Amino acid sequence: MSDKEKRRSAAIPSGMPAGKAVKPDSDREFLAQAGVGDLLLGAILKMVEARSDDPVGFLADHFCNLASVTDGGTAECGDEEPQNSGPNSAGALEQQRLNRALWHLRLAHHSQRSAFSNNVRVAYDLLDVTGCQGQAGEAPGGSDGPCSGGPMGAGGGGVRGGLYTQTLQCLCSEGGVPASTSAPLLQRLCCQDHEAVPYDVFRYSVLTCAVFSDYIRQAQRLYAEVCCSDEGPVSRALCLTVLGTLKEALETSQGCDANRSLNTNTKSNNTKARRYLQASARISPHNLAQAMVGAQTRGPGGNMDAKEFENAAAELFIARVKLVS
Amino acid sequence: MSRLSAAVPAEQYLADSQVLFYLNDAVTQLLEHREEYTQFGLVRYFAEYFSSVKNSNHVLFREFSYIRATQHNRASFIRVFWRSFRQIGRSGELLSLLEYRSLLQLLCPDFPLELVQSAARMVLMDDATDCLMSFSDFIYAFQLQLYYQEFLESLLLVYQDLLAGKSPNTVIVPTSTSVEQLQSAVAEEENEKEERQQDGVETSTLSQCVEVLCDRFKSSHPSRSCMKEILEQTDKVSYSSFLLSLSKHESINQSIGALPSKAEVLIDPEMDQELDKLIAQISVSPSSNSSGSAVGGLKEAQRRASPRRNIHHRRRMEVESDGSTEETDSSEN
Repeated sequence: MSDKEKRRSAAIPSGMPAGKAVKPDSDREFLAQAGVGDLLLGAILKMVEARSDDPVGFLADHFCNLASVTDGGTAECGDEEPQNSGPNSAGALEQQRLNRALWHLRLAHHSQRSAFSNNVRVAYDLLDVTGCQGQAGEAPGGSDGPCSGGPMGAGGGGVRGGLYTQTLQCLCSEGGVPASTSAPLLQRLCCQDHEAVPYDVFRYSVLTCAVFSDYIRQAQRLYAEVCCSDEGPVSRALCLTVLGTLKEALETSQGCDANRSLNTNTKSNNTKARRYLQASARISPHNLAQAMVGAQTRGPGGNMDAKEFENAAAELFIARVKLVS
Repeated sequence: MSRLSAAVPAEQYLADSQVLFYLNDAVTQLLEHREEYTQFGLVRYFAEYFSSVKNSNHVLFREFSYIRATQHNRASFIRVFWRSFRQIGRSGELLSLLEYRSLLQLLCPDFPLELVQSAARMVLMDDATDCLMSFSDFIYAFQLQLYYQEFLESLLLVYQDLLAGKSPNTVIVPTSTSVEQLQSAVAEEENEKEERQQDGVETSTLSQCVEVLCDRFKSSHPSRSCMKEILEQTDKVSYSSFLLSLSKHESINQSIGALPSKAEVLIDPEMDQELDKLIAQISVSPSSNSSGSAVGGLKEAQRRASPRRNIHHRRRMEVESDGSTEETDSSEN
């Protein structure tokens, strides 16, 4: 907000109102001239389409993204100059690209496969800019989502390793995963700073992080359900049982390497479907309840707090993540 | 959860998000200050407006009707009040009702007295609202009163009806007095009226009424389980003591999400840092008193400050979403 104050105080002494010579009389005229209606309509449509959990946050990001595109429009055209004029402006430009890529990645949930894939493509092209590419794959005036990034993407050599790692870190933290929990996952997925990350790897890692964030959130909710709020940490036996059921479910669905998701082989899709059904049966409320009842009658002493539970659940997931070589 | 929320129809999603309210306010503000805001572009204006809503910086110096319009606004205001005035708690000063109200009016010019009075009654457990209150007592009561204002108002009506001897079946609709009069012939409780007025009402009865109110208020009520838990602890309860217990309940505090727990409510890491800096300057300055023990003492305080500062910094990262509002108090003039 201090930015806004600085601008306000800078604008007032300068005194010259930009633009219109004649101030419109009525409010409606002013709004119509300024194009407020279209702007807001576009924003609302995007918001309803995305159905984010945080609608206000979504709008904030949307407008910020739009603002940086329109502000940065002039900067983008002269792409080569800022790159040469020192590390600061190049760093800022990169940060801007990262923000925009993240914004794209947040638009669709990973379960909306085609929309999500398109957004990953756009984000990859954005980050793939290696100097003279100009505006990689993004229409000015806001994203319309999928543009075929093929020809532009091929020009770059791949996303820089450092940028790639940053993207993953932001995805995890925005997904509500604390840094300590996501660190082991990122270790498996990370690349060296100087390496160029190809599209396949980028897509795989982004998907994994998105699924991981969901998984951790579910684990947190699971813990909250199991734990009665005022009784403090939950008994270890109960937690171990719940974790055991989670593990079984993961193992069952792992059968055909669920992480390699987009091969459209119909036979393997059927097998996958069956395994997912089996897995979901294992963590069905009935099954879980049975396991929990069993746990309460026997079991080791001591309690497990939320953090430990989360870490244990994370471990189960991460063990199944392919190492990126 | 967004894939599950796709089942929610668009209109409902829009309504629940209260985005239209904020858009409405944004455009109204824009029209009122159009010369200022069009200087640096409309898109940037909306970006900053919604960013400030997201970061809970949007309620400062706004009118009360804006503050009470959404739960998010209420929580943001409580938080701003806490951040602005927690120093008072640290100094140990006790303030009166009117003094707290003055503080509130610094942040919101038309903040109503009634709400502050209700909060004070909660803390002081009776009508002696000229007594002094500590900051931490006041702020939790204030939070409950502001955040769940409508629910508590209905609850008060229900309570007064129960106190007056009406059977629980008649008090379910507090606004419908004709229904109550018709049914007041129904058999009364076995306890006498006098006892009731002193000790309060039967908790089991109140519990039933609370259930009904919760159904009506949907999500803007304190957690059912917390309220049940409190009511189960005694046979009888008075309105103020019930509310006071609610205000001190940690789960309710967490579900509102505006304030830290009571143990941390007075912690102010930014002020600590400022003080540490001052201390450092004093101890390093060549013109300071050269008595070894004094300097040593100050240096030790500085050393002791560092691990505390780290802990506070970590807690602050968890507790606070945005670290820049300390400046706005003085610079927003």
